[in-house]
Amino acid sequence: MSNVEFGFVVFEKCFHCNRVRTYFTKEMVAILGDEYREGDHFWHRVENAQSFRFNLDCSICGDSMSFDDLMGLLYCTGCLSDCRLEILRKKLEAERTHMLMACGFLVESQLKPKQVRPDKLEELTNYFNQRRGTARSRIKIVAFDLEDGFSRCKGEFLHDVGMLSQEPITARRSPF
Amino acid sequence: MTTQELIEKAGLKPLSKFEDRVVEGVYISDMVSDVMAGAKSGDLWLTIQTHKSIVPAANLVDVSAIVITGGKEVPAETVELASKYGIAILSSGLPTFKLVGKLYALGVGAQ
Repeated sequence: MSNVEFGFVVFEKCFHCNRVRTYFTKEMVAILGDEYREGDHFWHRVENAQSFRFNLDCSICGDSMSFDDLMGLLYCTGCLSDCRLEILRKKLEAERTHMLMACGFLVESQLKPKQVRPDKLEELTNYFNQRRGTARSRIKIVAFDLEDGFSRCKGEFLHDVGMLSQEPITARRSPF
Repeated sequence: MTTQELIEKAGLKPLSKFEDRVVEGVYISDMVSDVMAGAKSGDLWLTIQTHKSIVPAANLVDVSAIVITGGKEVPAETVELASKYGIAILSSGLPTFKLVGKLYALGVGAQ
């Protein structure tokens, strides 16, 4: 992993159309509740999650693969038993493989997040499996590609929220 | 030193069901993003974070165990998820600084 940059994933919601959009920022202080108008949208920040972005470098050929389009990794909470990803998670779990879902950024014009290329997800999976002992279990990173996006999914991001809280948070509210 | 040996020598309290592992090093962070970027397989992760997202993060980087310091209470759902993944969640009443001193004196992470 190289070129690691820490920052915030900002979740903004339009209180006019209810759409959510997200982006990464390296600003030092993330201000919640900042409101502004952009065309027909009235955006306000509903969440700032501390996160990071990075590249993966090949030590053999020197190629660098950027993951700037990766908003974050989600873990499945098993909220819907008939969900395609939950069914896949259970199947992989039986094979001692733990599934995480890669989520691209949300744009206001689309219901579901942008997709990260499958070859990049494969490299990311390989990277994490090479960092760990795979005799006990493995990791599989799949695309978060549910047609209805986050409208029903209660998956949770591996992000840091509530870092300014005086006590560690034990429950999170969804930004969607 | 294994997780079980560490529990006995450092006075840690196991909260979850776990697979005994060799502890290779120590990583201290309260940010899941920092752990994902920097922790190594086999590290003992010291934190005061108790949200259940620490479990998949720990599993992703394959830490040997998570130690919750400062006597923080760990929610049942975090312990349950950790047991399901076979990841040890251990509790210490000591603040992180004092526990690190104790671990260092035991030779944990010294290699």
